[in-house]
Amino acid sequence: MKEKTPILEVSDLQVNRSNSVVIEHANFTINRGDYVGLVGPNGGGKTTLILAILNILPRTKGIIRLFGQDIKSFSDWEKVAYVSQNAINFDPQFPLSVRELVALGRVNRSNLGRTLKSADWKAVDDILEFMGISDVADRRIGQLSGGQKQRVFVAKSLVRKPEIILLDEPIVGVDAETQEKFYKKLSDLNIEKEITILLVTHDLTAVFCRMSKVMCVNRLVNVSEITKSLKPEEVLKEVYGDHFHFVFHKHECKRVFKDE
Amino acid sequence: MNASGFSKMNELIDVFRLFGFQFFQNALLGGTIAALACAWVGLFLILRKEAMIGDGIAHTAFGGIALGLFLGINPLWTSLLVSVLAVLGISYMRRKGLAQSDSAIAVMLAVGFSTGLIIISLARGFNVELFSFLFGSILTIDQTDLIIVSILGVSTIIVLGIFYRELLSITFDEESARLMGIPVRLLSLAFNLLVAITIVLSIKVIGVILVVALLVLPALSALQLNLSFKGTTLAAILFGVLSMTTGILLSAIYNVATSGVIVFTAAAIFLFTATYRKLE
Repeated sequence: MKEKTPILEVSDLQVNRSNSVVIEHANFTINRGDYVGLVGPNGGGKTTLILAILNILPRTKGIIRLFGQDIKSFSDWEKVAYVSQNAINFDPQFPLSVRELVALGRVNRSNLGRTLKSADWKAVDDILEFMGISDVADRRIGQLSGGQKQRVFVAKSLVRKPEIILLDEPIVGVDAETQEKFYKKLSDLNIEKEITILLVTHDLTAVFCRMSKVMCVNRLVNVSEITKSLKPEEVLKEVYGDHFHFVFHKHECKRVFKDE
Repeated sequence: MNASGFSKMNELIDVFRLFGFQFFQNALLGGTIAALACAWVGLFLILRKEAMIGDGIAHTAFGGIALGLFLGINPLWTSLLVSVLAVLGISYMRRKGLAQSDSAIAVMLAVGFSTGLIIISLARGFNVELFSFLFGSILTIDQTDLIIVSILGVSTIIVLGIFYRELLSITFDEESARLMGIPVRLLSLAFNLLVAITIVLSIKVIGVILVVALLVLPALSALQLNLSFKGTTLAAILFGVLSMTTGILLSAIYNVATSGVIVFTAAAIFLFTATYRKLE
């Protein structure tokens, strides 16, 4: 069995916003190659948790380690990619082609002021190809459909070859077919490129079909490995309440579970 | 050829002879550098929704011009000093939460302009010179002015050329840029200093009152064309330089205020591109 390498370790984390506790007693570990679905009710603290992991929001208490380093002293941010839930709400008139936007993902602290070289542009073209958006490479970003925009932003975050990607509700308001294609792409990334994925979503069927772990967040944080014997309803009731009823579409679920 | 034809031919020959004069060469070179820097900086200003900072700093620079004339120092240097102080002041007020961006600009504009008025009222006698800085006098640019304009302009273009990707990243998505380790605050401040420098180098060319037009109109025209960022930048620079050279030539031929014709040409290009977009 493959040894598990921890990428993200959180212990006794507490995060306050506007003097009220949003996350408390959070203890969990995300290993290399995990595909984690982060679920929970609105206002439960999912985005707060992501922003704390990225050191954008200060933590009140506890420890967060990325690649074994405390995030306060962590400097290897090229290994970490993030797609915010507001990413696609840009000015549609902004004069930027898809290729130019994805290339911005290659601009970071380590290459300030450096001209992009042919290797950078090759990486851009490769990721456009992988995400299936090569045909719109020269289109203006404002002219894309919702699903295309999301894939472009994921491409931008992936172009610097990160080891972990955090996505905060990246597929809100798109049709079911586009959503399915998007989840498939993320599965490919997870398997083919061994990228660890942490995805905030309300699509519970996708979580239990495609992902390896489910992280339930509602002030408290619980992480469970997704196996065939795991009962989704039991896990989800802890965060959504006893009245919660989950309909699991098994016929749509093509994944082979570890304990199957 | 009839008499009217000969007359037109003579006029054309006179226009070509203009290119042989040092003052005209200075005007074209200084104007082109200023137009290029203004168009590029202006594009970022519009995309950052900070066009008014250009107008604010230009009016603040008026205080610096008055100070320079009063002290007998080249007013371009004193206006550069005052403009840089204005940028730092605006940045400080925003960072400390003393004022929002627009209010901070209004405060600096008022302080700079009123300082200029006080100095003018204290020392009478330089009204004609002051007029040339207010409305520009591109045809009177001497060698010293040209050297200052060239140094400031080329420096601005080089810095923008080196860091335009980082600036673009910050302009498009500040949070994402910060996460990627781009020094957002430092580069934003550096960009505002470039705005101040660009305004100062354009004062002799177009004057403090109309400099905002040279910053905004070429970029706004380019934005109508729905191009990529590279395409939009090149179009903005082309429109800026075209407005400048056409303006200088037309004003020399018809003997009218150069800055007025430059801005009028830039506005005509904007009208043309906006119509093209509507018809597209």
